[in-house]
Amino acid sequence: MDLQLGLVHTPLTPFAGDIAVDFERYAGILAFHLANGAQALALPMHAGESVSLSDEERRKLLEFALERVAGRVPIIAHVTQSGTDLARALAIHAEQAGAAAVICTTPYYWKPQPEMLLRHFTDIGAAVKIPYFLYNAPGEMGGTRVTTELVLALIYRLENFAGLVDISLDWQFLIDVVASARSLRPNFQLLSGLEFLISAGAIGANGAFAPHATIAPRLITRLYDLCRAERYRDARPVQEEVARLYRTVRNRGAAGMKAAARAMRRDCGDPRPPILPLGEGGQRALADEILQIRSVADDIKGW
Amino acid sequence: MAIALKGVMQAPVTPLNDDFSLDIPGFERMVDFHIRHGAPAIAWPHHKAESLNMTVEERKRGAEAAVATAGGRVPVSIFVSALAITDTIELARHAEKVGADAVLVITPYYWAPSPDEIYDYVVRIGTLVDLPLLTYNSPGYLEGIEFTGELVARLIQRLPNFIGMKDASFNSEKFLDISRIALELRPSFAMITGVEFLLPSIPLGGVGSFSAAGAISPNLCNELYDACVAEDWPRARAAQYKITRLWMLFREQYPSSLKGAMVMMGRPAGPTRSPLPTATRERQDYIRSQLDALGILASEPHGW
Repeated sequence: MDLQLGLVHTPLTPFAGDIAVDFERYAGILAFHLANGAQALALPMHAGESVSLSDEERRKLLEFALERVAGRVPIIAHVTQSGTDLARALAIHAEQAGAAAVICTTPYYWKPQPEMLLRHFTDIGAAVKIPYFLYNAPGEMGGTRVTTELVLALIYRLENFAGLVDISLDWQFLIDVVASARSLRPNFQLLSGLEFLISAGAIGANGAFAPHATIAPRLITRLYDLCRAERYRDARPVQEEVARLYRTVRNRGAAGMKAAARAMRRDCGDPRPPILPLGEGGQRALADEILQIRSVADDIKGW
Repeated sequence: MAIALKGVMQAPVTPLNDDFSLDIPGFERMVDFHIRHGAPAIAWPHHKAESLNMTVEERKRGAEAAVATAGGRVPVSIFVSALAITDTIELARHAEKVGADAVLVITPYYWAPSPDEIYDYVVRIGTLVDLPLLTYNSPGYLEGIEFTGELVARLIQRLPNFIGMKDASFNSEKFLDISRIALELRPSFAMITGVEFLLPSIPLGGVGSFSAAGAISPNLCNELYDACVAEDWPRARAAQYKITRLWMLFREQYPSSLKGAMVMMGRPAGPTRSPLPTATRERQDYIRSQLDALGILASEPHGW
């Protein structure tokens, strides 16, 4: 249960021309992350277009990744679904397939009241014995958020509730939740879900999900290592470059990540509909912009 | 006109008499308490001072009392934003006339102004007075209306007296963005966080905060700041966790609970004006038990 995740990469999911999952390319993506600093993998996260995959595809993707990675790093399975039973089934499958942990965010579309959310998360977590992480993403999930009260209630209910991954970047919440949770469960993990690692590190985070490691893994590793050493003064210029990369990609919407990967000469195909690719002009403009960031230009190109 | 802002700057509450009138002697005692307990600056009347529930005349009397009580020991900034811009203009002129060291404005209330409208508003106030100007960013309270990094850049380029910003976004991405842009254009620009969120902001270029808990726990405020400046992160975390628990206690119907807690610290500041409730005896007792559990009753000054 004392699984420490550390720096977690979140691989993209490649699609072939007929929008089927391109497993051959996926093998290359996994190998790339293993060779470039991933201490764990979480898949398929939203960056990996989990929302656009069928449950069957999610299961196959996880089984494929587990087989290829073969225990070299832990794999965290993302099991979010709108319905509690659907998410539970994904969690149970993940445990049986050999995932090291599962992660789940608030349900899509519904606006659950606090007691509904508690029930939802309790039922999913109780279905497995492997470590269980929540993912707090109010900005992406229609404003539904993980609260400190919810976290504390789940700590009481679930022995395998291991930690929280957060992309709200909200200091008020993060300090409150980490201090409260660790007073009940001292090894409770807090991970930043985006690479804003200075404040998170100072607050007490002990890991990170790094979607931009797909684009600039050396830059992300440098920032991560400086923050783990609490060398925040040295980390600040690095953090500013990472923030610039984040902003540039985010401004393109969901298609930005694959376009940025392509700009680094790692073609992961186009996003699956309804997300449309940036097109040639957009692709070129994004490539120009991210390659103006010196650390990104200096980072690894190709596979 | 050069003032350097840093540390945990104290924003006193407004003591009221039992009939809800302004308690000026009590306010003078309040300001003096903060300065004697290490406040590097005084800022009044922030929202916790019930500024929006006061008349313009009352705000002027308080500003005069704050400046006179500080007596040059520490700088005093006056918050001049009101619902009507005419009141804001009057308060800004008055602050300058009575010898305040800076004025502070927030994005306009209610109207959901565009970036151009916020720019125009701040420039009007900033060019009206020769005083240093601070702005206050509070997107959480004001439905997402905010100073973006881009807007801050335009204002820095337009206003030589724009010296700093209170950023109460409490968000790593926003704070980092404004800090990066502002410090590049004006290296002396003071990035000040709200409440006492020093631990996540100082490593991003922050210089200090306006305080919520200073009337309760001035020693803890100073301890947190010292630990952050010394880059003693484990010590800073311990202090930040504790002071954030205080904030969670006060945040509900702020500043009613704060005034309730002051009773328990032997520094009563009277009731809170409607529509905010005054902390009941029961609430005060609950707060007292929390202060006791946090060790605040034992480690912080009692009485004035």
